[in-house]
Amino acid sequence: MKKPVDLPQGALEILILKAISLGPLHGYGILLRIQQISEGRLELLQGSFYSAIYRLESHGWIKGEWGESDNNRRAKFYQLTPAGKRQLKAETERWADMAGVVANILNVNPEQA
Amino acid sequence: MISLAQLRAWWAAITHSARVHGDVETELQFHIDAYTQDLMQRGIPEEEARRTARLEMGQVNTQNEKYRESIGLRFLDETSGDVRFGLRSIARQPVSSVVAVLSLALGIGTTTAMFSLIYAVLIHPFPYADSDRIMNPALVNEERPQQPTWFAMTKPQFETLRQAKSIESLLGFRDVNMELTGNDLPEDVNAIYLTENAGSFFGVHALLGREIELSDAQSGGQPIVVLNYKFWQRHYYGVSDVLGRTLMLDHVKYTIVGVMPRSFAFNDTLGVGDVYLPRSLLHDSLNPPVAWPYTPWIKLKAGVSLDAANAELGAFVRQFANETAEHFPKKFYLQLQPILLPFAQNTRHTLMLLLGGVLLLLVIGCANCSILLLARGQSRQQELAIRRAIGAGRWRIIRQLLVEALLISFSGALLGVAGSYWLARLPLQLSPSSFPAESVIRINLPLLAFSVGLAVACGIVFGLVPSLRLSRSDLAHTMQSSKHRITGPGGKRRLNVLIAAQIVLTLLLMATAGTAIGSFLRLTTIPLGYDPKNVMQVGIVLHFNDPKEWEHIKLRVDRAAFIDRVRQKIVSVPGVISAAVGTDATPPYSGVERPFDIADKVNSEEQAARVHLVSPEFFATLRIPLLRGRLWDQAENVRGDFLAVVNDSFARRYWLGQDPVGQEIRLPSLKGLNLLETASSESAGWRHVIGVVGDARDDGLDRPVVPAIYLPYTTYMAPYAQFEVRTQAEPLSLVHSIRAAVQEVSSDQQIGRPFDLQESIESDSQWSRQRLFSALFSFFSALALLLALVGLFSVVSFSVAQRTAEFGIRMALGAPRTHILWIAARVGIVSALTGTAVGMLVDLFLGRVLARWMDSGLAGFASLPHVALLLVICTFAACLLPARRAAAIHPANALRSE
Repeated sequence: MKKPVDLPQGALEILILKAISLGPLHGYGILLRIQQISEGRLELLQGSFYSAIYRLESHGWIKGEWGESDNNRRAKFYQLTPAGKRQLKAETERWADMAGVVANILNVNPEQA
Repeated sequence: MISLAQLRAWWAAITHSARVHGDVETELQFHIDAYTQDLMQRGIPEEEARRTARLEMGQVNTQNEKYRESIGLRFLDETSGDVRFGLRSIARQPVSSVVAVLSLALGIGTTTAMFSLIYAVLIHPFPYADSDRIMNPALVNEERPQQPTWFAMTKPQFETLRQAKSIESLLGFRDVNMELTGNDLPEDVNAIYLTENAGSFFGVHALLGREIELSDAQSGGQPIVVLNYKFWQRHYYGVSDVLGRTLMLDHVKYTIVGVMPRSFAFNDTLGVGDVYLPRSLLHDSLNPPVAWPYTPWIKLKAGVSLDAANAELGAFVRQFANETAEHFPKKFYLQLQPILLPFAQNTRHTLMLLLGGVLLLLVIGCANCSILLLARGQSRQQELAIRRAIGAGRWRIIRQLLVEALLISFSGALLGVAGSYWLARLPLQLSPSSFPAESVIRINLPLLAFSVGLAVACGIVFGLVPSLRLSRSDLAHTMQSSKHRITGPGGKRRLNVLIAAQIVLTLLLMATAGTAIGSFLRLTTIPLGYDPKNVMQVGIVLHFNDPKEWEHIKLRVDRAAFIDRVRQKIVSVPGVISAAVGTDATPPYSGVERPFDIADKVNSEEQAARVHLVSPEFFATLRIPLLRGRLWDQAENVRGDFLAVVNDSFARRYWLGQDPVGQEIRLPSLKGLNLLETASSESAGWRHVIGVVGDARDDGLDRPVVPAIYLPYTTYMAPYAQFEVRTQAEPLSLVHSIRAAVQEVSSDQQIGRPFDLQESIESDSQWSRQRLFSALFSFFSALALLLALVGLFSVVSFSVAQRTAEFGIRMALGAPRTHILWIAARVGIVSALTGTAVGMLVDLFLGRVLARWMDSGLAGFASLPHVALLLVICTFAACLLPARRAAAIHPANALRSE
């Protein structure tokens, strides 16, 4: 098993947006999906998890609606709003850019410098 | 940036908090349950699974706080907590809070009201469009430059002037006395003919119907009339279906087409019109040959300077003077005057002084609020220290105090704004004649913003002082000093300075009020020289327009007899004691100034006296005493020539030490000059002085009596006459009977609007200005005194409450009660005495300036010691009352209260 990683600032929000973009999910579902995709390497602080969801919802990027869960209980299902889709796209690009730049710098060999 | 979605989330969290909180909790509970389920499936026992889940996710019932914080509501939640706490702490000291709020409210309210008044009267009094470009073309007679006159133009001259390059629009008007006919008794109305461009010149929309329009000039003038608001109220009781009705003026029918709004009261200077008619109806007549002249008002083009316009129009007017010399003085120049000028001259000083007064009041109000907040802050040092000790951040404490200060300031501001609407109307009610009829008082928003800003700033600054001091001082020290509170010296000094400053300003206001009251009293007790009580003036205008009637009164003898018949009819009315002819002779502004010569005396200077044309009953009717010689009899009255009576001022000025009776004078200018006037054969000849009468005010209430000459009215008669009527009771109640009596002499003879002499004194602008001054300054100074006393009282009370323990110890050690009383009251008394002393010095200096402004000589200085004494007594009382509580403390109780 690989080592767990800590999340940098703001990353949790992108992950939540990404998780929901694959289909509507309730809070616990989002958590499970992120852990599943990351193969259990992300240790999410459950306390800050809901703060992130509330923030995203208050920005209008995700939208929660009450529905039935698998075991017939009331649960709030989140899905992306159009604004959320744009935000996810923009953030993904930004993230990729930044990761690329950082990776490029780190990959520089002494001869190239 | 705040998005719409965020606002929606806030809105939901605030308005539907219960539902939102329920949702948040349900969601978290679901999460915990699902997690527990998963853990159990992994083989963890239920109890432990539940515990783990809960540990990781936190308490369900605290999740709400996290939710509100996440969506950005934390600031709001804390602030609303501060507001609630602030309200509670204000309620804990209700008296000082209410006083602080009221102090601010009074300051803001009066300042805003007074400035709004000044704005309405001085800066923007007229409803006309571009009123700052409307000019009165005044002629300055170089022989008498201080009295500019207006001039009239004929129609061709008017058309010529219209071509001037600097004129955008030219209005011509003429005031005419007309008679309202068709009712049982004819009535006088003031009609103003306006050139038909009036509607666009004024730019004021009619309240009902329309204004006078260019089309009204068609076919020699349409018979239409536009009503003045007050006339409409008086005659039609303000009904709206007045349009289309007819009005009979001088037996001619006019159709009512419009009613002007209340603010339109053209023309303030020459008399407000009751009705407005198109100028084209004013037909020139051939017999008698009259080409009606009319007076212009000029609207200059934007951007044309006064000098340029004076130069261009001056050339036009000079040419007119060559054409119609009788309308112009010999040597003159043209001076365009903004229509505002007469009011600005009359009221500017009044209003500036009042503004000064209210600004003082605003400062006193702010100072008072600051004193209360400071005193309150001192008593809270310990509370704040505890809050800091248990972890409140400095910013949190500042915010808490800020919220409290803002609560007080804003309540004060709100009350002040509400109060200013009422206060702004007060001066207009006290002194209606000092202000143009047209000015409508509106609350001035920039000033309102200014005074609210000042008050709020004061509140904030002084509300924050305790927290700033706290952060400077040693926390442990403050905590320990606990009940034996030793307030910081800085705070005390600041308080004392504020109190002293407040006393200085209060004394200043009180002294000004004293001056104002003094000069008003002087004005009311001035000997008038005549008795105005139960006397009215009734005027008639003879019918010179009607050739048939004119025939009967054209000649001097006929006219004198006609006027005497009218007089006798008036005397015959029951309730009338006496009636006299007194043309242009009604005090306190009476007589027509004319030059005169004295026999056997070379005039070194141009000498002039006020000439009064009266009948012999005049002196008895007004109760003006005869000092020497005799009055003329009826036969002499009919003849009119060869005799004169002078007043005491005349006799003393020209014949001091000589016997005036038997001296000779003559009035070279007393001649009938035009067709409408008639004079006796020797009217300008030498006259013997046969008597001297007492001085009666003839140049205004507050100015010395000027030399006056009384002549029989038959020596010179204009086509009008006035009567002084003394009655047994309320004179104006007899107007109807007098009107009927005059009708018996000539069925068509109307009388002008009669007025009561006593009332005319009371509505005199000098009189009402002085009354306004004294009433408002008394009001301001009473408020200021009240504020200052309350401030003092609360400061001493606070200090007594804080030093209870100290007083207990002092008494236990044997200090006598009088000593305790003194040290308790000392805080306030010393500052109050210092303030009074400084105030007296300031007032001695400023008093000179003020007295000159109020045209009242040095009357104010006498009142200063009284006012200062009153202030000292009041401040002692305000300090000693709370200090008595300190002296009444029982030492044992005081020590136990630790």
